[in-house]
Order: sequence, then structure tokens, then C-alpha cells
Amino acid sequence: MKKNGLRRAIAVGLVGAMALTMAPAVSAADYEECTITISWWGGDSRHEATLEAIDAFMEAYPGITVESTYSAWDGWEEKMATAFVAGTEQDINQVNWNWITQYDSDGSIFLNLYDYADTIDLTQIGESYLEMCEASDGSLAALPASMTGRIFYWDKTTFDEVGVEIPTTLEELLACGEAFAAYDESYYPIALGEYDRMILMVYYLESVYGTDWVVDNELQYTAEQIQEGLEFIQSLEDAHVTPTIAKITGDGASSLDQNMNWIDGHYAGIFEWDSSASKYEGALEEGREFVVGDYLTDLGEYQGGYTKVSLGWAISTRTEHPYECALLLNYLMNDADAAVILGSERGIPVSASALAAASEAGILNETTVEANGKVLAWCSNALDPYFEDSTLKSSDGVYYDVMAGLSYGDYSVEEAAEILIEGINDVLG
Amino acid sequence: MANKSNSAAAIPHRVKKKGIKGFCRDNIGFFFILPWLIGFLIFKLYPMASSLYYSFTDYNLFQGISVVGTLQNYIDVFTTSKITKAMGITFRYAFITVPLKLIFALFVAYILNFKIKGVNLFRTIYYIPSILGGSVAIAVLWKAVFRDEGLLNGALALLGITGPSWLSDTRYSLMVICLLRVWQFGSSMVIFLAALKGVSADLYEAASIDGAGKWRQFFSVTVPLITPVIFYNLVTQLCQAFQEFNGPYIITSGGPRNSTTLLSLLIYNSAFKQYDMGMASAMAWVLFVILMFFTVIAFLSQKYWVFYSDEEG
Repeated sequence: MKKNGLRRAIAVGLVGAMALTMAPAVSAADYEECTITISWWGGDSRHEATLEAIDAFMEAYPGITVESTYSAWDGWEEKMATAFVAGTEQDINQVNWNWITQYDSDGSIFLNLYDYADTIDLTQIGESYLEMCEASDGSLAALPASMTGRIFYWDKTTFDEVGVEIPTTLEELLACGEAFAAYDESYYPIALGEYDRMILMVYYLESVYGTDWVVDNELQYTAEQIQEGLEFIQSLEDAHVTPTIAKITGDGASSLDQNMNWIDGHYAGIFEWDSSASKYEGALEEGREFVVGDYLTDLGEYQGGYTKVSLGWAISTRTEHPYECALLLNYLMNDADAAVILGSERGIPVSASALAAASEAGILNETTVEANGKVLAWCSNALDPYFEDSTLKSSDGVYYDVMAGLSYGDYSVEEAAEILIEGINDVLG
Repeated sequence: MANKSNSAAAIPHRVKKKGIKGFCRDNIGFFFILPWLIGFLIFKLYPMASSLYYSFTDYNLFQGISVVGTLQNYIDVFTTSKITKAMGITFRYAFITVPLKLIFALFVAYILNFKIKGVNLFRTIYYIPSILGGSVAIAVLWKAVFRDEGLLNGALALLGITGPSWLSDTRYSLMVICLLRVWQFGSSMVIFLAALKGVSADLYEAASIDGAGKWRQFFSVTVPLITPVIFYNLVTQLCQAFQEFNGPYIITSGGPRNSTTLLSLLIYNSAFKQYDMGMASAMAWVLFVILMFFTVIAFLSQKYWVFYSDEEG
């Protein structure tokens, strides 16, 4: 009996030792005691989860102190852009996908994470996803946290009140506009802001023509085709599908999730990133049913729309502790404990190990999982990172000007198309 | 000749004798202003000189400078419709808010100068909006008041009036921003109040004996005696109005359709959203020249309407 017990203990010890040697184990001797800094933007739930994950990291790696800087999105990009230029950014930064091309075009801001493949388990992340985060020189500027795309979400409670089915085709959507107007003029099937309209227009045009919006730094659509897209957007306003920009502005809300008309169901739909829909769901009055919609099947012959890296993590080239930063990044991206804490706060994780751990723990937001599945299954077009250039998509950028100008009647579709093309070509150079 | 050489020889001896202690004693005033001077050189003069230089370049925050010594930014400032429109809006904003705020602040200060019950409480209450400044709370409050179904339109509806869309109608949106500035009249009010307290009661008594009513007393006694303070408030408020940023930034973000995009907001957007520092610097210098122009006009006009107590006659 004693002999067996001893054998078992030795076997367990050997297996343990094997496991320890195989795993990318890190002992106190492997890293320096140091303080590293990290920054991100997001909502309260993301802040809480990330802080908790960082605390767990500090417990797992005693001696490494992590100082966090975080805030809401408003004004964040301006702050970070200035920091990148001044060299005052944090050691690790949550980055938007287009920041790689916009701020790190020469690879001087973000560290090449391929150089830290021994520390960060890159095998957990699909090669195609990693390639999306490569800078022009082929270095890996960031680790993608998740993939995302725009999809329709509906407040089913309102549709039930109005007495119509949730639309799955453009024809049904237009009919919903009519039904909502008949029910109550202040009710609309969907609320679309300026940037929502821009993305929806691209989705429409890609569905009709199948071509990516921009390929090799060249806009692929003619003025006539863009006019067609703008007419499509305008037709939604005309058919009482979406309120005018003036109506949404007059609601006096900073964003749609804070808009009373969304909260109480007067606006019954959104076209939103799957990774951020939970905040719209959370804003709804209690008892309202929030459902993921389907892509409209009759827009054209193709499955338009695009997916993109929702956001990523990058390490600054100026950090004095790149190895320790890589340890933290690996923890946040791939560690099972971190995955369970972070859940779907940054969308459905692209890291296989994180996804497995979070799924097993059952903590992923079901709506996000469903929406993400639909997005990845449907969208067939690629996105050019310059699409999200701040010159175009900021509140005083070209997209806002064109879509609001069209809605206010300041521009004809011909003028709007011309301004849009000129603005895009300016950015594409 | 001998005297000359003697005194020349004495100079180095004297300097040596004074030493550091003497130098400090002779320049003590300089040391008193040194903290301010360092701050001025680093945080004012250097950025101003830099921005003047950048305004003649095509400086982009991320692409650096490729062209130096160009006037293109200044040409663009006066030929780009978005910028000239913003200039026009800035003028409108300043010329609406400054008189309104001064009149309102003076009016309230005049009332609060009377001996009425609980006057200190009223003074505090009227001052509170000034310390709130531009914050998220103010943005929320202002939007709650002026949104389509907000407090103001709710009140108008009670009177049977359908209120306009204050935030989304380009004809009214600037007024919303102007009202925020006027509402924050507390600091001007306090300065006026101090000036009003300085007006001698004897003068009112004399005017009263001569048969002057309250209005006559106000325009013929009070106003002339506080013109230096009115002048001070005018200049400071003018400077603040032309540089206004918080109101349009937090409440309307310059919208709708750029109807509340003041020059300062455009400078910010150009610098930190478009990263076009050259253009932003040029706009900032144009704004500076405009401000200087109006300040100089105000100073030159002093002799016609500002009465200082040490003046004769």
C-alpha cells in the first residue's frame, strides 16, 4: 500500500514536473520587479473587469505592479494621439485597429510582438487575425482582442406593440416604417446616426456590387454608385424607417444608448457593432426584449458588410519593461483565469484558449455570441483601415458632414457624393 | 585723467566686495518675479513662439514638417468657407453674449445691492452657476432643458406654445450656447457689486434732493461712477467670449451643421482630430489678432466714456 502510494506520488510529481517544463512557466527569476502602465477606454463594466484581471495578474506575478489609466471613449483618441507624438503613452495600450496605420505607419510607436512569441502564445490566435494587425513593414503591431461587424438589433417589444414582424428583407423594413408611422409618428423601426448611415450605405453597396469599398488605397465605387447608396439611405428617412438627423440631435442625448427614445422603445432598432451591443441592451427599460436581427437578404446578390478587428492590445516601443508587458498581454489575451474575468467585455475573444475558458465558464454574453456568429458567417468584404481614419469618421469629419448635410437638405445626393469621394481620396492620398 | 583711472580701478574692487549677497540684494525684485517669469517663458512665450513658427509651416502631428515659410495656412484661413463661417459665428457669439451678460450681471448686482432680507443667500445662489463652469453635469443639465421634450419646451407647452427644436435647429442652437455663458454671470456680478458699494450714499442723497428718481440716479450717478469697472468687465468678457470653448464642446460639439462651431473649437478639431497643427496655429494667431484689435478699440474708446476718480473735471 505504502509502495503504491509512493509510486503514485512519484508519478504525479513527474507529470507535474513535465507539465511545468512544457508550459511557458515563469518564475520570479524570469522577470524583473517593476511597475508597468496600461491604458484602455470603455464603459464601467469593462473597467471593472479589466481592473480585476490586472489584480489577478499582479497576484500571479508578485513584484510586477500595474498602473492603469482608463476612461470613456469621448476625447480618448485625441488624448492618446497626443501621447503617441509626445512619447507619454502607457507601456501597454488598448488600440483601435486603424491606429496601426494612422499612428504607427513607420513602426516606431508599437513594438513588434512577433519578437515576443516566446512569451505571448500567438498560436492561440488565428494567423489571418494576426496578419490584420501587422504594420506595413510586416511587424505585429497589436494583438487583436476580437473580431466585430455591424449587425441589426431590434427591440422586439416595440415590434410586438406595433404588430409587425421583425424585418429580414429591405421590403419588410420599408413596410415596418409605414406600420410604425401609422401606429404613432414618434415611433421608428430603427435609429441611424451619421456614422451608422455611412456603414449601412457601404453594406448596401457591397451587397449590390460585391466589391470591397477600398482596395489598394483606391475607392472602388463610382460617383453614380455612391449616389445610389446615398439615395438608399435617404429612402429610409423618407419611408419613416429612421428619424432624421435633426430629430436625433433634438433628442439631446450624447449617444443612442442614452437616448430616451431608445430606452423606452420609440426607436426600435440599431445597426451596431456586435462587440458593443450589450450597452444598448443594458440601457433598455426593464422587461423589453432585445434580439439580434438578420442581415437583409434582398439588398443585392452579394453578402455585403465587413468584419474588422474590434480593438487590440499594443506595447509601446518606449517601454522599459517589454518582457513584463508581454507577460501581462499574454495573461490578458490567453490566460483562462483572465478570460473568465473579462468575458465578452471586448467582444468574443479570438484567442482559442480564452474562448474555451470563457465558454466553459458560461460567462460570455449570449447576445454577443449570437451576433458575432452571424457577423462572421455573413460578412464577406474586407475593410480598409483608412475607412476609420479620424479625418473621416470624427464628429467634424467627412462622413458626418455628408450624412447630416443630406438629411438636413443642405446637400443633394450629387453634392454629397462628390464631397464624400473628395474627402476619402484626400485620406487615401 | 588721474581721477578717471582711479575710479576705473575702483569698479572691479567694488563688484568683488558685493559678492552674491550684494547681487541678490540689488536684484531682489527679480527673484520675487522669478517663479512667474519661468512659468511665463516655458508655458506662454515658448508655446506662443512655437505656434507662430508652426503657423508658417505645414506641420502635421504625425507627419512632421515638410514645408517651412509658407503663407498657405493664412490664405486658407480667409478662403475656407468652414473657417470663415466659424469666424462669423464667433463674432455673433461674442457680440450677443458680452452685452447680455454685462447688462444682466449689472442688473442683478444693482438689485442685490439693496438692503433686502437674505441678500447674502441670493448672492451665493446667483454666483453658483459661475463656479460650475463647463462640465459634463452642465452638458446634461443644458440638454435636459433644451432638448425637444425638455423642460423649456414642456413649460412652453403649458402655455399652449409649441417650442422649436433648440438643439437641432441651426437658427436656435447658437442661442443655447449663448445662454449658458450669460447664465454664468456670477463673477461679473460680484465685481459690479463691489463697485456699487463704492458709490457714496451722499451722491444719491444729493441727487434725490435735486429731484432725481431711481432711474435717473442709476444712469446719472451709478453708471458714470462705475464705468471703470464696466470697462474692466467688458474687456475681460470680450476676451473670454472670443476664446469660448467649453459650451459648444460639451453641449453641441459644434453642431448642428457647424452652427455652433466657434473658432476655438475649430482650432481644437484641426489640431487634435485632423492633426493639422500648422493650420490650427494659423487660426489661433488670427484669433489673437482679432482679440487684440477689439481690446485696443476698447482701450482707445475709454476716453469717451470711462470716468476715473483721479481725473479732473
